[in-house]
Amino acid sequence: MDDATPKERRTFLTVILGGVGAVVAAVAGWPLFRYLSPIDKGSAEDLVRVARQEVAVGGAHFFSYQGRPAVLLQPSAGEFLALSAVCTHLGCIVKWVDDKQEFLCPCHGGRFSPAGQVLGGPPPTALESYPVSLDGEDILVG
Amino acid sequence: MNPYKETVDWLDRRIGIRALLHQQLTGYLLPRNINIWYTMGAVLMAMFGLQFLTGILLLVYYVPDTEKAFASVTMIMNEVPYGWLIRYLHVVGSNLIIVFLLLHMLSVLYMGSYKRPRELTWVSGFILFNLGLVFCLTGYLLPWSQLSFWATTVATDAAGAIPIVGDFLIEFLRGGPSVGEATLGRFFALHVMGLPMAFLALVGFHLFCVRRIGISAPPFGEEYQPKLTYGFGHEEHPNGVPFHPHYTVKDLAVVFFALALLVAITFYAPWLFIPLDALTPADPFTTPEHIKPEWYFLWAYQTLKIFPSEFLGLAAQGAAMGFLAMLPFIDRGPERRPVKRPIFISLYLLGILLFVGLSMWGHYS
Amino acid sequence: MMRLKMMRRVSAVILACLLFLPLWVQAEETVCLQCHAGLEERLSAPVGQWRGSIHAQNGISCHDCHGGDPTDFEMAMSPERGFIGVPEYIEVPEFCGRCHLGVKEDYLASAHGKALELWGPQCVVCHGNHAVEKATIDLINPDSCSRCHEYERAAQVKQIISATEATLVELEASVADLHRVGFDMQRLREDLFSQRNSFRRLFHTVAPERIKKQTAEFDAGLATTREQIEDYEDSVEKRKIAGGAVVVLLLLGGCVALLIKRTFHDEEG
Ligand code: HEM
Ligand code: FES
Repeated sequence: MDDATPKERRTFLTVILGGVGAVVAAVAGWPLFRYLSPIDKGSAEDLVRVARQEVAVGGAHFFSYQGRPAVLLQPSAGEFLALSAVCTHLGCIVKWVDDKQEFLCPCHGGRFSPAGQVLGGPPPTALESYPVSLDGEDILVG
Repeated sequence: MNPYKETVDWLDRRIGIRALLHQQLTGYLLPRNINIWYTMGAVLMAMFGLQFLTGILLLVYYVPDTEKAFASVTMIMNEVPYGWLIRYLHVVGSNLIIVFLLLHMLSVLYMGSYKRPRELTWVSGFILFNLGLVFCLTGYLLPWSQLSFWATTVATDAAGAIPIVGDFLIEFLRGGPSVGEATLGRFFALHVMGLPMAFLALVGFHLFCVRRIGISAPPFGEEYQPKLTYGFGHEEHPNGVPFHPHYTVKDLAVVFFALALLVAITFYAPWLFIPLDALTPADPFTTPEHIKPEWYFLWAYQTLKIFPSEFLGLAAQGAAMGFLAMLPFIDRGPERRPVKRPIFISLYLLGILLFVGLSMWGHYS
Repeated sequence: MMRLKMMRRVSAVILACLLFLPLWVQAEETVCLQCHAGLEERLSAPVGQWRGSIHAQNGISCHDCHGGDPTDFEMAMSPERGFIGVPEYIEVPEFCGRCHLGVKEDYLASAHGKALELWGPQCVVCHGNHAVEKATIDLINPDSCSRCHEYERAAQVKQIISATEATLVELEASVADLHRVGFDMQRLREDLFSQRNSFRRLFHTVAPERIKKQTAEFDAGLATTREQIEDYEDSVEKRKIAGGAVVVLLLLGGCVALLIKRTFHDEEG
């Protein structure tokens, strides 16, 4: 240490200070990242319960599934289908057109069948579908 | 090819950065005997910077609604990862800022650096000090706890002692006859928008004054001689040390120590600044016992209590604050050396004793 | 087991009502207090006794038990305003049991309760009346119990419940500490409160066999609560370690900066 000039000592110390600064920044960055990350609400919402009477035969019922819009259909009495309502083109929410019994996306005119299949327009793939089961008077999605 | 040099060269050709840096940093010479008290301004800037950061983060989850505010703060403290850390940093930070504001002010007073030509620096600083207090007062209400609610009720009620306009003033401050949704709305707007903007503008002006006039020489040592200045002139220190890196590294050291203090209190004793009443949601129908303001308002609280009428108490406070604000225009002699200013220094010490005494009295009564 | 569940549910309801009364609520200076404070010893003593009581701390004032109108000097003691006055010896369990429902039920079914008509002990015989304090296990003691019978059976009950009582008291203290440092303890506090109430109901049956059997169930419930409390306490410790490390780091940074500052001095000689 004795023979190091002040300038050499300073360079050495500055590197250490830079290191300390970097560690402090990293240590502070982690809580910041965690603070802003979406809060995990657990798996409680995996299963969504909808009353059967909400879904008319030939009608559509929109609801939220895992934080995203979804839709339940009853094409014929007792038969239920659950689909994502998010258009596979650019993410608009599809509309149910009662007269035609099909989905129409208001953004660029994409069309989907009640089963989610693309009928026309720009959407590249079918709407995602979710498993459905019945529990008494309720429908369970997921 | 040195990318650093390239960038600086590029900037230099555009905005003459080298000359600017030299003028403001390396060529800006400070008095050789400049002391640790001159770092308080930098510490305050760092602390306020952190306060802005943690404040913005708290805003992500805080809900300014009387029905939801307390629950949102409880959620920040318990459910949001590291929410407790952000909130405690903000709370402890606000208290430390008051401490550093007081230290900054006291050192400036002791060294007489508020004197001509630095009157504007002092006045802008004094307004900043008051802004700091209003920051705390408005922030205090936001969690909508028992403490928030009743401290604000008592604080706004004091305005009622002003003759004639008192009652109107209370309602105006509260936005209604009593503290409620309307009060939260205006305090929130002030705390997160109004005050920060005013604050930034004033800090800008304060720093401009400091730089434009040049930092004062500490009034100590053989060489020091009080100067009489008439026209404008930058105070030069021909034999001084460069601001950067000589003094910035000292600023940095003290900022590190201040942050260490902040983190230590945040992790080991945050409850110092969070009384029990702050942990219960506000209830406008039940006043908790022994409601007390925060430590930096205790002196004012006690003053109001010892005067026979609230108005006299308020007038005394106003006079004291007014005197401080106007000090550079009252105390106009050029002498800055403490040893040569026995009357001022006696008053200075008495003032500190009075502040501490009143605060303790307020705390224990 | 079914019964235990029921008991818990009932006490949870009582608890919900009580929790709306924050702890510091101060009963106001009612006309009852104002007038009685100045009366002869027999009629003024209750005022002072009540002031130090657990009832006063929780904002339960004269009229909450004795009825009447606490805001009107004229009508304060009028039966029209629901004034009840002093209950007969035998009425006391019903009197207290308006709030302390669960305990009343178990007490009435107990040997103590069944002996009520023969001047068997009722609530105030052990707990006192106006000066009532927060109940502790020390209410079971030779002096008190042997006013009526041998202490032996009481000692037996005390021995069975003392470990669980101690745990309850200890866990309540931990919950209060955690609340103090900013944790939301609402759920755990309610949980403990209801466990404590159910447990206190249980030992008002003064039936050692039954108490012994059910105490084990309480211990299991409390063990789960304790685990949750320990999780919190763990995170408090972890935070302190992390915070300590950051403080050290910052101090180090400060010192290095000071050392750099020194190099400038050295250069200038
Ligand atoms: C938000 C609060 C404040 C900030 C960020 C701040 C910042 C600064 C900075 C960076 C300096 C230059 C370095 C120094 O001497 O510390 C300074 C100087 C000064 N400040 Fe402040 N300040 C604040 C509040 C105050 C207050 C409350 C007062 C007094 C009422 C005050 C009065 C002065 C004076 C008179 C100087 C000139 C010192 C000299 O030239 O020797 N400031 N301030
Ligand atoms: S987003 Fe649906 S068609 Fe373009």
